[in-house]
Formats: sequence, structure tokens, C-alpha cells
Amino acid sequence: MKYNLELIKNKKKIIGFSTVLTLLSLLGILYSTFNTSYKKPINLGMDFVGGNELRIERICEAECSNLSPDSVFENLKEISKNKKVLNNLKLQFQNNNKLISIRTPYLSIEESNNLISNLDNIVGPLNYESKDSRLIGPKLGKRLLTNSVTSLLVSLFAISLYITIRFDKKYALFALLALFHDLLIVFGIFSWLGIILSVEVNSLFAVSLLTIAGYSVNDTVVIFDRIRENLKSKKEGYNETIQLSVNESFRRTTFTSITTLIPLLSIILFGSYSLFWFSLALSLGIIVGSYSSILLAPSLLLKD
Amino acid sequence: MKRRQGWLFFIIFLLTLSVYLLINYPLQLGLDLQGGSQLTLQIIKEEGKVTKDELDAVNAVIDRRVNNLGVSESNLQTLGGDQLILELPGEQNPLVASRVLGKTALLEFRTQKAGTSTDLKTLQLQRLNIKEIIDQYSSSEKSQYDDNFLKIIQDDLKEIEQELNYSTTSSDLYGMLIEIKKYVDKEITNLFIKTDLSGKDLINAGRRQEQTNSNWEVLLTFSNSGGEKFAEITKSIAGTNQLLAIILDGESISEASVGNQFANTGITGGSATISGNFSAENARELEVQLKGGSLPLPIEIVETNTIGALLGSKNILKSLYAAISGLILVGIFMIFNYRILGFVSVLSLVLYGFLNLALYSLIPVTLTLPGISGLILSIGMAVDANILIFERIREELYDGNTLTRSIDSGFQRANSSIVDGHITTLLSCFVLFLLGTNFVKGFAATLGIGVLISLFTSLNCSKTILRFFTTYQSLRQKNLFLPKNNFSN
Repeated sequence: MKYNLELIKNKKKIIGFSTVLTLLSLLGILYSTFNTSYKKPINLGMDFVGGNELRIERICEAECSNLSPDSVFENLKEISKNKKVLNNLKLQFQNNNKLISIRTPYLSIEESNNLISNLDNIVGPLNYESKDSRLIGPKLGKRLLTNSVTSLLVSLFAISLYITIRFDKKYALFALLALFHDLLIVFGIFSWLGIILSVEVNSLFAVSLLTIAGYSVNDTVVIFDRIRENLKSKKEGYNETIQLSVNESFRRTTFTSITTLIPLLSIILFGSYSLFWFSLALSLGIIVGSYSSILLAPSLLLKD
Repeated sequence: MKRRQGWLFFIIFLLTLSVYLLINYPLQLGLDLQGGSQLTLQIIKEEGKVTKDELDAVNAVIDRRVNNLGVSESNLQTLGGDQLILELPGEQNPLVASRVLGKTALLEFRTQKAGTSTDLKTLQLQRLNIKEIIDQYSSSEKSQYDDNFLKIIQDDLKEIEQELNYSTTSSDLYGMLIEIKKYVDKEITNLFIKTDLSGKDLINAGRRQEQTNSNWEVLLTFSNSGGEKFAEITKSIAGTNQLLAIILDGESISEASVGNQFANTGITGGSATISGNFSAENARELEVQLKGGSLPLPIEIVETNTIGALLGSKNILKSLYAAISGLILVGIFMIFNYRILGFVSVLSLVLYGFLNLALYSLIPVTLTLPGISGLILSIGMAVDANILIFERIREELYDGNTLTRSIDSGFQRANSSIVDGHITTLLSCFVLFLLGTNFVKGFAATLGIGVLISLFTSLNCSKTILRFFTTYQSLRQKNLFLPKNNFSN
């Protein structure tokens, strides 16, 4: 089976499509920076700003009784001695009222323990074996943020350097352009997710961006390799050779994306909730990455 | 041919070795998989960076305290030059550990300034009042917790504030009580002058229950020079109305007078007791802190993660489902598209999985949730190399080349792309591992190891297994390598 993507004909459409995606991402980032309550390009999660996150299950005989978060909060207010704990407390019931999840600003272990025992009095008994509690101080949060940003910049620099050494200037430039396009779009999608669904990003998001960077460059490199190889041996025109090379690599690139997406999909479906957004970010990155490797980067190489 | 057979035996040997390793050295599971608590301790230094010596010194003190606490199978390691990570597996409450570890435990002995007796008495009285109010407030049940009760406490607090000529700034009642308590503690400490005797002069600490009541007291044993200093200090204030205060982290935990009978020699014998109404728990915590020595730099607990054991085992199951379903689906996809070649890649994937796990137990790598996702993700990477090669082989076959030639040149021509791809991913892993947090390191480690192993399995093992298959005449048919309908192209 041969593939026949009409790259030359559709160059304008492809570049236009990518421009629109990029602009939409930028719009999300700008909107998030200036118009939302968190005033950041993206909704930073607990890892980066500090706080307390608690998930714990109730022990119920048959079905867990229906409770409204508001009434629980009122009760908490009544019995909590340290009122500080209740500032900005967010409480949710999930899994048919079985799972309680709570977010507050940073608490000490002692304060968090008190909160849990108060909670036990109101909605208990609680199953302590199912507890998942994270307390992150604001200092550490800031540090994690700096660390993540540095890791991203350093590895982007390293990848850029490698590509520049490995390829001619033109190839390197376009491979990197495709890379930043992919990262920007994934970042933008999460900005929008933050605005619309209050999805937060944590340190694993930075990891997913880094992994996407590796993948995206890898995909582009394989296609550019093919183009280089064919330009040396084929007698057809420059643009035609590029289109041919893309079609020859099409199966490989889509297959690779599929075999990578399959395990990620398994994590999304079966894995722990803490890996959900991480796997989703990676999946999005791989989809956008394949698109940019197959269509965008080679289109940029085409001559008018 | 001989050489290939050698490789085949080597691969079988590796597989056996991996299985052997996994049986005898089980994988270490992270706290998110087995349940437990993890505390991150940050060393606080106002100016400059924490030096290696300082880090080691803090580490040693924390290590002693952890050991004296008697938590089982705890694990302490340093991170990034100014952090320590303490892991407490199982259902051990991190609260006690955090109370004991978080304190600097700087012990000082101070003597009272002359002529401050009245001031001290007032402050001591108020301290007692505040303590009573706090006890009352925190032990009261919800039923008593009505407006009347709150009003009494607020009135009491106001009275104390007037007495002390200090007004609190906290927004809630509990905060105000804690604030005024701190103020009084500080004021009391200020009435005393430092001496050259400190926690450094201790060689041991212990605790025992007081005979007269159920309270506990903490026993201090001084070194020789410490004993002499103690005698000297007690001698200087014996018989006067100046008191000796024992101060822990700026808060006086005991003020005592020294009797006239010690005016000549001071208190000798090299030991002292602190009896400050300790509960059994408090006495034990203080003992552990004093035994471990004071921290050269203060620390702060900046992160605490606690995962219940049940949740941990659920996480293992979930990861297992994800990994196995991922592997099976990828296997089906590969066999569907590449027939025999797909089967070869499934075999080398199985080997890949075993080699990875064996390396984890050998290095050892502690397996965490992000670590597992790194492993699952690297499956995709490993398959990618196979796809690159197989696509090349297919092209060669379409061009009418023989099977053996197609296989050979397929591997050869895919080589550079594979190496490139692996290097870019390795670069990312390397940076992540250097700069990332513990959490992220787990991911970088498994993905990195996976990428390295995949270089070996996809280039070498796939080739060897494929060669082995093609020695069977019945398998050397092109339609076992290409879907039939494609020949028409």
C-alpha cells in the first residue's frame, strides 16, 4: 500500500492550520495570564505553589450516604479550633460519595491530622489505609517550579545543539520550529483546560513536555534523514523528493505513534489517577508531534 | 552462522539470568506502591549555600534521631545538596517523626539576671494561665463549645493581654492563644543570660517517671568538662534568688533555684534532671532530640506525602493492568501488521521487559508510579526501533530483494535513525535525572534504562531471533512477512 499525501498542493493549508493552532494556544496563555484568578500562563498546581491535598475513602456498609460538601464544611467550621485550616478549603465527594477529596493551602502535619480527625467525626468512619495525603510547603513549590523550568530550558538547549550539529542549518531550524510548535500547542491546550475545567499542572506536566520534546524531534529527524538520503540518490525535483520521502516514512511515523499511544491509553484507562493528566498530555503531544513531523516540518522545507 | 548461534545462546542466557535475579532479588517498591510516608526536610541557611560538611552534619543528627525513634526500615537520603528525604514505610504516623526531626533542639543553660524576680513571677503566672486556657480550649468537646464558653476564653485572653501590655494580631482565637504563648516564652527567656554550658556538653539523655506523680522527667548526663561547667554555674547562683533556666530552642522548659548548700562546690556529679510536667510522649521526644544532638542549621519540613497501604496495593494492580494491556495490544498491533516480524518483535519485547526489571533489581531502582509510567512509555520507544527496521525490510522485499538480503539491509539502514532517536530521548532523561525531584527521577531512570536496553534488544535480539526463524525453510515465505494483498501493488 502506497500513501500519497499531497504535500506540495496543501502547503498553504498546512501552514495556515498550524498558525491557527499556535494562535489559539497563545490566546489561551494570554487569557490565562491576564483574565483568570491565578494570573499565570497556566494554572499551576500544588507542586508549584504549595498546599495540602487529601483523598480518603469512607467506610460504608452498603452505599455511602449522600452528603453535601456545604453541610460538611459548616460542621467542620463548628468543631475546628484552628480556623486557619478552613481558609480556602475545597471539598468534594466522588465515587458515589465514597471518596472525599480536600484541597487547602499549606498545613503542618499536625493541622492536617486534626482536619482528618474532625472529618472522621463528621463523615466517618474513614478508611485510613486508603489515605493519600500530600503536603507541600510554598518554599519547596517555588523551587520545584524553578527546577522544572530549568530542566526544560536545559534539555531544549541540549536537543537544539544536537540537532544543529547533526543537520544543516536549514533542517535544524525547521526541526526546532516544529518542536516549539508542538510544545506550545500542548501548553496552550492545558492553559485552556485550566481556564475551562480548572485543570492544574504539576511537576509531571513539565516531565511530559520534556518527553514530548524528545519524541517530536525524533520523529522529525527520521523524516529529515529520509529526505536527505533521497535527495542524494533520486533524480526527481527537490519538492517531489520531499513529498516522496514523507510518504515513504508515513507508515513508520503513524505506526510508532500508535504503538506509543496504546500504552498511554492503557494508563489513562487503567492506571492510577495521579497519572491521568500526565498520560493525556503525553498523548496529545505525540499526536501533535506526529502531525508536525509528517506535515508541518517537511512543508516548511518545500520551495515555492 | 556460528556467531549468530552464539548470540542466540547469549540471549537465552540473559533471559535465564534475569528470571533468576528477579526471583532472588525482588523489586524494591516505592512508597506510592507499598504505602508509607515520605518527608522532605529542607535545610535553612540565611546566607550562602549549604556546604557539604554542613549537609553531612545535619544528616548525621537526623540519622541519629531517626534511629533513636525506633521507626522500622526507615530510609534517609540527601537530595540536591540542601535537602534530606526520609521515608517511613507502612502505617507509621509521620506526625511524631516530624515533631522530633523538625526541631533544632538547641539546649542552653542560662542564669537569671539579678533583680528580675518580680518580672519573672508575673510572666510565669501568665504562662500558667495561658497554658490552662489552651488546654481547656483544645480538650473541650463540641457540646461545650458554645458562645458562652468562647466568651469566657476571650475575656480571659483579654485580661492577660492587658496584664502583659501586649495585643495579639492573629485573626482567630486559637492563633491568638498560640501567639501570646510565644510572646511570654520569649519574654521569659530574655530575663536570663547565656552561659557557656549547652547541649554540646551532653553525653547522654534519658527519661523516667517521677515517683510522686505520673509526670515524666528527662535526665541529662554531662561530659567531664560539661559537669565542671555545670558545677561552676550552679555555684555562682546558689543561695541567691536567681534561677537557672534550661532553654530549648529559645523556650524555657524549666526554671529552678539552686539551694544554699551548693554555695561552696556547686552541683557536682555531672548530671541534671529536667522536670517540666512532661508527658511520656514529650519526654521521649526530648530524649531522642538531646541524644541526637542539636542541628547545626535549622530545618523545615517542606513536603509530606502519605499513602495508605491499601491504596498502594491498588496502585500496583492498576499499573499491572495498564502495563499488561498495553503490551498485549501493542503485540496484537505488531503481529497484525508485520506477521512473522511482528511475532519477533513481541519476543524481543518480552525479553526487553525481563531485562528492564532485572536491571531494576540489580542497580537497584526503586519502582514508583512515575517509574512504571516511564517503563510503559519506553515500550513504545522499543517498538519504534522495530517498526523502523521492519519498514525498511518491507521496502527491500517490495523491491524484489531476497529475504536474507532484505533483512540485512533493513537492519543496517535503519540504524542511524534509531540511534538518533534514542540519543534525543536519552538527553531528556539525563537532564531530568540531574535536575528533577525524587518523583521525576524515578521516571527518568526507568525511561533512560529502557532506552538503553532497547538499543540492544531491538538491534541485536530482534535480528538474532529473526535469523533463527529464517533457518526454517517453511518460514521463509514472503507472504509470512507481507500481507498478501499487498503484492498486487
